[in-house]
Amino acid sequence: MTVPALRAVDLTKRYGHLTALDTLNLDVPAGEVFGFLGPNGAGKSTTIRLLLGLARPTAGRAEVFGVDAADVASAHQRLAYVPADVALWPQLTGAEILHLQARTGPGTDLAYREELVDRFALDPSKPARTYSTGNRQKVALIAAFATRAPLLVLDEPTSGLDPLMEREFRTAVRQARDRGQTVFLSSHQLAEVEAVCDRVAILRAGRLVDVSTIEDLRGLHRSDVTITYAGMAPDLSGIPGVEAIESAGERRLRFTLTGEPAPALRALAAVEVTALTMREPSLEEIFLDYYGTEATR
Amino acid sequence: MSLGTLPAPANSQLASAPAPGRAVTWLAIRQIRRGGLLVAGLSAGMTALVAATYAQVMADPAAAGSLQALAGNPAIRTLFGAPVGLDTAGGFTVWRVGTVIAILLGVWSILATTRITRGEEDAGRWDLLLSGRLRAPAVLLRHLAPVMAVAAATATAVTAVLLLSGTAPTGAVLHGAGIGLLGMFSVAVAALTAQVFPARSPATGTAVAVLCLGLLARMIGDGVTALGWLHWLSPFGLLSLSGPYVHNRVLPLLLLAAATALITVLTLTAARRRDVHDGLIPAAAGRRPRTRLLASVETFAVRRVTRPLTGWMIGIGAYYLLIGLTAVSVTDFLRDNPALAGDASQAGFEGLGSIAGFTATLFAILAMPVGGFVTARMTAFLADETDRRLTQLTSQPITRIRLIGAEIAVTAVAAAVLVTGAGLATWLGITAIGGELAVDAALSGTWNVLPIVLLSLGTAVFAIGWTPRWTGLLGGLPTTGGFLLLVIADSVAAPDWVRDISPFAHLAPVPLTEASMTASSVMLAVATVLTIVGVAGYRRRDLRS
Repeated sequence: MTVPALRAVDLTKRYGHLTALDTLNLDVPAGEVFGFLGPNGAGKSTTIRLLLGLARPTAGRAEVFGVDAADVASAHQRLAYVPADVALWPQLTGAEILHLQARTGPGTDLAYREELVDRFALDPSKPARTYSTGNRQKVALIAAFATRAPLLVLDEPTSGLDPLMEREFRTAVRQARDRGQTVFLSSHQLAEVEAVCDRVAILRAGRLVDVSTIEDLRGLHRSDVTITYAGMAPDLSGIPGVEAIESAGERRLRFTLTGEPAPALRALAAVEVTALTMREPSLEEIFLDYYGTEATR
Repeated sequence: MSLGTLPAPANSQLASAPAPGRAVTWLAIRQIRRGGLLVAGLSAGMTALVAATYAQVMADPAAAGSLQALAGNPAIRTLFGAPVGLDTAGGFTVWRVGTVIAILLGVWSILATTRITRGEEDAGRWDLLLSGRLRAPAVLLRHLAPVMAVAAATATAVTAVLLLSGTAPTGAVLHGAGIGLLGMFSVAVAALTAQVFPARSPATGTAVAVLCLGLLARMIGDGVTALGWLHWLSPFGLLSLSGPYVHNRVLPLLLLAAATALITVLTLTAARRRDVHDGLIPAAAGRRPRTRLLASVETFAVRRVTRPLTGWMIGIGAYYLLIGLTAVSVTDFLRDNPALAGDASQAGFEGLGSIAGFTATLFAILAMPVGGFVTARMTAFLADETDRRLTQLTSQPITRIRLIGAEIAVTAVAAAVLVTGAGLATWLGITAIGGELAVDAALSGTWNVLPIVLLSLGTAVFAIGWTPRWTGLLGGLPTTGGFLLLVIADSVAAPDWVRDISPFAHLAPVPLTEASMTASSVMLAVATVLTIVGVAGYRRRDLRS
């Protein structure tokens, strides 16, 4: 069996009485794009800090390609990291920061770096103090993607990027996978994870709730539908995919919809619908809906 | 200045929580209260101590008269300010610690002001504040007011102490008011430079430079009679023109108050005109990459220290050049007036009769600014960690030992550069006016304080490893704390073991005598142990980011 890119064994972190991470056991096989999902405060960043050796586990251990995460000189030869909130030395320009990162890092493909600077439309001649959040994130992303490290650890890397740049990001992730790099992507943006990840782990309140493929995750995807109607109420009972039907006031109905919408739309066509809104629920809502409160401590 | 005149947002009384301004004021207070209390307490404490020892120093009635004769010597005036009114406890206190307290309060005011205004804006935290209901000038004013309030509190504390010591009320009030106004002036200047420059460090540097120029102008005005008018251009000069307990003039202080008000108004106008994150001087739009010294952690540490080192070197170098230039004049004067030399030693300046003794006394003080430098560097290293800039390096294949090791080594070398520079500046000054001090004697004198400086560095490293929050305070403990302990212990005739805690109690007066190998070795050993234990702590703790 090959060595996993990342391995957590009974990984636990407590801050005083607060358990930020509770006996996490996780293997990320080499070559996968692995999504790490969870609401804010679920322990995603804590996990990453432990995997990077920036924080020490209270119990258990973390390994990068079989090397103890605490041995950073060796473990970090195999990874590149983009933090959630990128802070740069304000007096250095983007180009100087990329140079410093390349010279101190695990090896950089300079030609590919130039290409990435173009694709992400970064002006590297500006001092970092003048960069917006998105531009700071671009600097870190370019530095990470340009390395030939076999593992990329990305912690909510696209929160400041615009849709065009987000597309470039997804392309870069796919290219990294095609080169055989493993990508560990922490996020709470379901769409992004769906678009690029092979498998996902879901973390909630410091515990691993599930590890599943993206197809299984799609099953979680349900929309909230609210309709307003005139005259008779529609009969939605027994329609496949429609659940949790409830009244939302006078002549208003709310229900959830999973899968194909056609049967529900046919049922709605039978009555006079005056307004219809559909809302994709947040990941948090899916968690609460799907897992109830069993995962809370 | 009154907070009541702030223009309230038009509809602030409607649905939202009352008094958004008060919340901002509280935010500003929370950021400076600890330092503010420390500064006010230290100022009051030093004043009380000196006022209390006056009787002891002046026990001999003849002493008062001969000490006053020092006023005639230009060098004494240049270094310590015009010694006037030494025949009263109040006048003596003003001369002994007035300037020191004014500098302490001024420098702290500048650091605090740029930290909570430009520093917070740099970090992006003001974006949140300014999206609220208060406009930029109002937010700025509510940050300046608390720092100015610390200056006012210091003024009140110093005045109260002087009044309680039984000195003349007019002088006490004038001296207190002068110190307070100097603090407020520093706040205003720092606030203005924070509007002019788009980053914290040039804002701080320029404001400190203004304060230093003021001090230099007063020194020159004191030393050269023909240039006495320079006093009117310097905040320190205006303080000495007010002459508490002697002349009791109000006009110079009114002038200082007017200048402070004017600069504050300018600052608020500038704040209204500029964009957030920008300064009146625009940030450089872009430049070609300068990749020198960016090849490794070690060279990057060198690159980051270069600019601060240059600033500290200019300041320390200028002071010791001045010491050198005046050394011959002071020592000749004291040799010609043997009674005075004795008085000077009673007043806390021992062995001033020879150039070697004079420089040895002043070299000991060098430990404080250089100790301040190493503490500031280690605090900056910690700030890089807390503000997450260091994450760029901690996520690279670089061990923590190498990371902090590079910082410690570079800081220690920079400290060595500073003491060497101070020694050379002194030698240059003395040689330029035809005095006798060998260059190796000057260098051995300044190098003699290096163990105390390294003790400061070791304590700061220890704090970074085990109690990061206390790095600034612990780092300053061996140097500034040790010096204060010695002064206090001497003044209140404390038992020897209390005095011996201070590293300064073991510092040989080099070049007057040989360096004490035992003392230096012990200090170096303690510094090494502290550093090793600190690095071990840093290696195993969680990073604060």
